[in-house]
Amino acid sequence: MKSTKKRTAVVIGGVRTPFLRAFGDFTPLGTIDLGVSAIKGLFKRFPIAWKEIDSIIWSGVVLPGATVNIGREILFDLGLPMTIDAYTITRVCTSSLKAITLAVDAIERGDADVIIAGGSDSTSNAEVTMPQSLVHKFAPVVLNPKSGVKDYFRVLTTLNPIKDLIPQRPAIKERITGELMGESAEKMATRNQISREAQDMFALQSHQRAAKAIATGRFDSEITPVELSKTKAVHADNIVRGNTSLEKLGKLKPAFAKNGTLTAGNSSTLTDGAAAVLMMEFEKAKSIGFTPLATFRAWSYDAVDPTDQLLIGPALSMPKAIKKAGMTRNDIDLIDIHEAFAAQVLSVLKMLASDHFARDRLGFDKAFGFVDPKEINVHGGSVALGHPFAATGARMVSTMANELKFSGKETALLGICGAGALSAAAVMEAV
Amino acid sequence: MNDYLVQLAKKPIFKTLLQKMGIPRLPPVLKRTNHPWEQRPFNDQNVMIGQMGSTQLTKILAEIMVKGGAIPYVEKDEPVFNIFYKAGDAYGRKAQVIKQKSLPAPQLLIYDATNVNTPEKMNRIFSFFHDHLRSLDSCGRVVILSRPPCETKNVLSATTTHALEGFIRAMAREIGFKGATANIVFVHSNADHLLEPVLRFFLSRRSAYITGQPVYINSQVKTDTIFPDKRPLDGKIALITGAAQGIGAAIARTIAREGARVIILDRPEADMRAAKLASEIDGALFFCDIRSSSADDRMADWVTKKFGGLDIIVHNAGITRDKLLVNMKQEQWNQVLDVNLYAILRINKKLVPMMRNNGRMVYLSSVSGIAGNRGQTNYSTSKAGIIGYVSSLSKELAGKGIAVNAVAPGFIETQMTARIPFATQLVARRLNNLNQGGLPEDVAETVTFLSSPGAAGLTGQVIRVCGGALIGA
Repeated sequence: MKSTKKRTAVVIGGVRTPFLRAFGDFTPLGTIDLGVSAIKGLFKRFPIAWKEIDSIIWSGVVLPGATVNIGREILFDLGLPMTIDAYTITRVCTSSLKAITLAVDAIERGDADVIIAGGSDSTSNAEVTMPQSLVHKFAPVVLNPKSGVKDYFRVLTTLNPIKDLIPQRPAIKERITGELMGESAEKMATRNQISREAQDMFALQSHQRAAKAIATGRFDSEITPVELSKTKAVHADNIVRGNTSLEKLGKLKPAFAKNGTLTAGNSSTLTDGAAAVLMMEFEKAKSIGFTPLATFRAWSYDAVDPTDQLLIGPALSMPKAIKKAGMTRNDIDLIDIHEAFAAQVLSVLKMLASDHFARDRLGFDKAFGFVDPKEINVHGGSVALGHPFAATGARMVSTMANELKFSGKETALLGICGAGALSAAAVMEAV
Repeated sequence: MNDYLVQLAKKPIFKTLLQKMGIPRLPPVLKRTNHPWEQRPFNDQNVMIGQMGSTQLTKILAEIMVKGGAIPYVEKDEPVFNIFYKAGDAYGRKAQVIKQKSLPAPQLLIYDATNVNTPEKMNRIFSFFHDHLRSLDSCGRVVILSRPPCETKNVLSATTTHALEGFIRAMAREIGFKGATANIVFVHSNADHLLEPVLRFFLSRRSAYITGQPVYINSQVKTDTIFPDKRPLDGKIALITGAAQGIGAAIARTIAREGARVIILDRPEADMRAAKLASEIDGALFFCDIRSSSADDRMADWVTKKFGGLDIIVHNAGITRDKLLVNMKQEQWNQVLDVNLYAILRINKKLVPMMRNNGRMVYLSSVSGIAGNRGQTNYSTSKAGIIGYVSSLSKELAGKGIAVNAVAPGFIETQMTARIPFATQLVARRLNNLNQGGLPEDVAETVTFLSSPGAAGLTGQVIRVCGGALIGA
């Protein structure tokens, strides 16, 4: 085997669209449009010669049925050279982190030098489909060139108005358990004894920190405005409530169970948005004049049993990732955990501190360690900012890459949970 | 083959109607499962645990329960509660204190009586079950854990452990009307680590038809202590005799479901049924009459060539030729003993040496062989002989890590029992705690459990799958 020089993939930076509550100003924009806006913003922020780009690794969760490979469509809409490779992956809420680590893989293996990775989701444009039974009844007639008007009428007489004609509404439901994700999170709150107060407190912290970051301009370099028309553009996130308080949060009614503890205030909401990250090989970046921010030291993708605790996965992925990185809790300066629900984050933190959990579920001698909820998510998280599924991972990567630079800290640990009881974690290191 | 009363009990309309007519109680509809083994057999079930202070078993028991998905309720005894609370922490199954008010109905009741060593101390056990038995859910499970009588060092504790067995047998009779079962598990003090798989089976829905049964766990069988939760028989080769129909076919399906490659052995006449089953479970077929003198050699050659060895053998083939002893022809006596006993002894000479380490052997005995049955002198003789054979063979093979056990079915709804005269049938299937006959699947699940690596703690035993038959042990 020939010895090769070690290649390192680095994060140059990331840009995202504002995150808007679903069915707001972004409703006319599909997931492809949002992706185009994010990458356009990325080009403005990091002007790169198009010929340098090797690939786009995009991701999405709510994908348009007719054009699943939205990455390729985004490339066409951007007007990039058609000879650039582009593909799309989906791994629920961890999608864009997976897209980014795939980019790291490709770059460090020598397959590519410059990759744009990220993800977009437009929950406003989730497709409402007609029942499959209708399709099955009509298909033979439509596909048969000999069908006449009579045949169409014959099919019409066989239709069942309830079974065949009522469209299927999309919902964030687990196929295997039939539970809404909030219901699963509600169960986790009960089982791990996470109180309503603790959840509201965490949600308040998320909102206040996000609001502060916006007010101080911390996110300015990460957000690109999206033009809606010649005269109208969206410049800022619209979900963050900096002026909320414990009293206001405390008044909200439980959203998923009668005497539940999860409310609209301490859960993330349906959101539209996109985020993109520019990844390069270290030497390449230097040669074309870009300053790297961070590298990926290790990551871990895991899965647990969705019928047990759906969103507990990061409690496995995070310790596994730092173990792979050869680190311990004390080596980690920043922790960023995706907030699907405040209850889920607090459950994960509890398990991270449990020696029993580490021993029984991970086979490790010691727990990851105690983490104060105040220590994590320095600029808020998905509860305040919103959660366009496939954009969240890329948002976290760009915020943490910048945070490492601004704060002068060394390492950051990301943790994300997802539907189907999947999870992911990654260790980032300042360059 | 269908129990019409159980069928009626499934329809609420008939249930009320019959009750109005004064027919006392319809048999309970037993909750069963035919899914592959799951990671959490007691998912979201409430388990109430009684104890007299913490014992050597407390921590093990706590971990078994929370790992299995149960929500533990324990008495307010600081050390015990803390052990349960800590164990539940990792699984999000935090222990709660048993308070008298607003307790959810428990599906499982467990009493850890391993430190109950004088008869007077049984008062606590009485009051625990006195308080909670009424609220036990339908088809709930009761288990008492104790140390085996052979291990007890003095008269008082020997008295106590035996007394507990009487207690559980009587309780099993009382809770049968709601489909609940009660069993006692005697754990040898050096076999605590073998308790988990046994409890997972006896507390699950797979043991629906086993009640009033003592089980002994010891560490005679050498074993590596890895007991898979799911697919316990992955990669194993299982030979099942008489597998083409009835209980044998159910056993073949269940063992195949858990991952084993099944060799279906039956007479050449049963080829259609056997072939159908083989294609269903992707099994291998071997036709022979086990009575023939060349069967053992042929079988051994074929197995060696094709599989190299065996991990599981289930001796299921059996026949009945019922007649009162005075009317029985020599031929009828010979036929039954030949198939049910002599053939097994003969072919085992060849098969036992082919068993791999950590193998499992299961023999089908019968409650008839324990209690005796009118008109079945031949059958009872053969099935009782099996019990003696198993008890002796188990000692021989323990060193190789092979567990040998027998399963004694009671009244099971099969073609064999359908041949019993109708009136006798009607009475026979009611003569047990659960007021109904069992299904072939009940026997199959038990055999599958005894074939799994987790059955290492059990050897030389007879597990009755009889719904707590009123006659018999």
